Amino acid sequence: MNAVRFPAWLRANAEHYLLVAAQQRVARRHGMPAPSPPVTLKDRGFLTFFVPIYRRLPWGLRRTVLQLMPGSHRRTWVPRERKPLGPAV
Amino acid sequence: MATRTVIVGGGAAGIGAAGAFKGTMPAGEVVVFTEFEDAAYSPCGIPYVHGKEIPNFESLFLATKEQYANQGIDIRYETMVTGIDLDAGKVGVEGQADVGFDRLIVATGFDYADPGVPGGDLEGLYYVKNIRRAMEWDTVLDSVKTAVVVEATPLGLEMVTALAHRGIETHVIDHRPWPLSDLADPDIVEPVQQAWADAGVHMHFGVSLAAFTGEGAISAVETSAGTIAADLAVVCTKKVPNNTLAKAAGLVLGPTGGVVVDNRMATSREGVFAAGDCTEIPLGVTNVGVQGLTGSHAYSQGKVAGTNAGGGSRTYQPVYIPWGLMTGALMIGGVAFGETAADALGIPYVLGVAEGISRARYFPGVMKLKVKLLAEPGTLRLIGAQMIGGEGIKERADFLAMAVKTGITLEDLAFMENVYSPPIGALNEPIALAAQNALGRLAK
Repeated sequence: MNAVRFPAWLRANAEHYLLVAAQQRVARRHGMPAPSPPVTLKDRGFLTFFVPIYRRLPWGLRRTVLQLMPGSHRRTWVPRERKPLGPAV
Repeated sequence: MATRTVIVGGGAAGIGAAGAFKGTMPAGEVVVFTEFEDAAYSPCGIPYVHGKEIPNFESLFLATKEQYANQGIDIRYETMVTGIDLDAGKVGVEGQADVGFDRLIVATGFDYADPGVPGGDLEGLYYVKNIRRAMEWDTVLDSVKTAVVVEATPLGLEMVTALAHRGIETHVIDHRPWPLSDLADPDIVEPVQQAWADAGVHMHFGVSLAAFTGEGAISAVETSAGTIAADLAVVCTKKVPNNTLAKAAGLVLGPTGGVVVDNRMATSREGVFAAGDCTEIPLGVTNVGVQGLTGSHAYSQGKVAGTNAGGGSRTYQPVYIPWGLMTGALMIGGVAFGETAADALGIPYVLGVAEGISRARYFPGVMKLKVKLLAEPGTLRLIGAQMIGGEGIKERADFLAMAVKTGITLEDLAFMENVYSPPIGALNEPIALAAQNALGRLAK
């Protein structure tokens, strides 16, 4: 199987609902209109359970989980070596 | 030893790859398949032709067909690749014999996400992509009275502005709360909304698309907030990778749906590379894959893939995504994260915001420029930026992307050197002011 089905499903939904929740908070901070309220059962489920649980996890743990997901970042991406500091000549 | 490289896709990534392959291996054979009538034009310029800011479509072409032929690049126009057999090393071509390859580069680009509502097969739904269709639509636009732009994505912003500029009654609908809300913060795009209101654009945010309706051709758009009569709907939904062929061939895809690649743009199969919107690339700030970048990203990735397919050695880097666009008289842009995206991922940050000016305060044409910087707490390394103003956004976005990439801190930026010359730069650089604002907040 070449399509990583569960990670793809999780990524798409997590990205969507985490953004919706963030838009609500950021809109409130800036006094802007909030996104429309959840409609479907799926909307309510992700916003009521997934988002609060994700946000309660410490950032270090979230980062570890993100790194464990499959994808291009798990392949070779060696940072280019930086030039030495100090005067150039 | 000369080899044959087949490239599937004739957009920025495909053409970049073809040129790099020939540059690396002049004796090698390269065949580019594209389903379209043309290759290598700037689709990003299409909204500006529709808006009459660019006089014609011809200027969007980068080179003629003869020029590619003279370079030894064999482009098969209007030719559909129907399948890829990696084990046999050949691609299936509609109505023709299979074509073998020694190296393959997948550059199949993107599709717009299916709006997923009834009426998607009606006439009068415009997906901005192919320049020949855009030429036809441009004629149609002369008789359009009312248009609905579906979703205020970057392309949606450009199309709203173009249609309004053309004098068409323009509506924009989006289930999200403000324009570009997956990318930009509400305070950054507020001037865009004000400019649209001044131009008579009807904005419907927090409103979901329900259906396109009409008898054969669209006559209305049904939404969660009512019906909008329309002659035309421009569908500007999110870009999703066009990976039907790659998936069927067995290449490994990532959670974004993009082809998994390494920094050589090599896929999970030896001798097979991928580039452009069909791939996923790590975002440097988080080391998480992202998909659906810009034409400049696609072109650079194509160059890397083509060089490596030709036996050379070139590497691509994680991306930091400097972005920018023009909407009316306003430029908007940024790098990596804004507040909304950082908040969504739960990334901790410190914030600095400042308004500055683009030239000396007394110089004609001086414009306001708002800069927002986000930095990592503790180290104060920059992790993102957002900006809006009348000029100078692109250059600052490029600079700030390098700043994020190289670990520049708020302290570095707060007292950075800057060009001061009345026609092109003010005494106080707005980026420095935003960094000083962040440090001031931290000191409280």
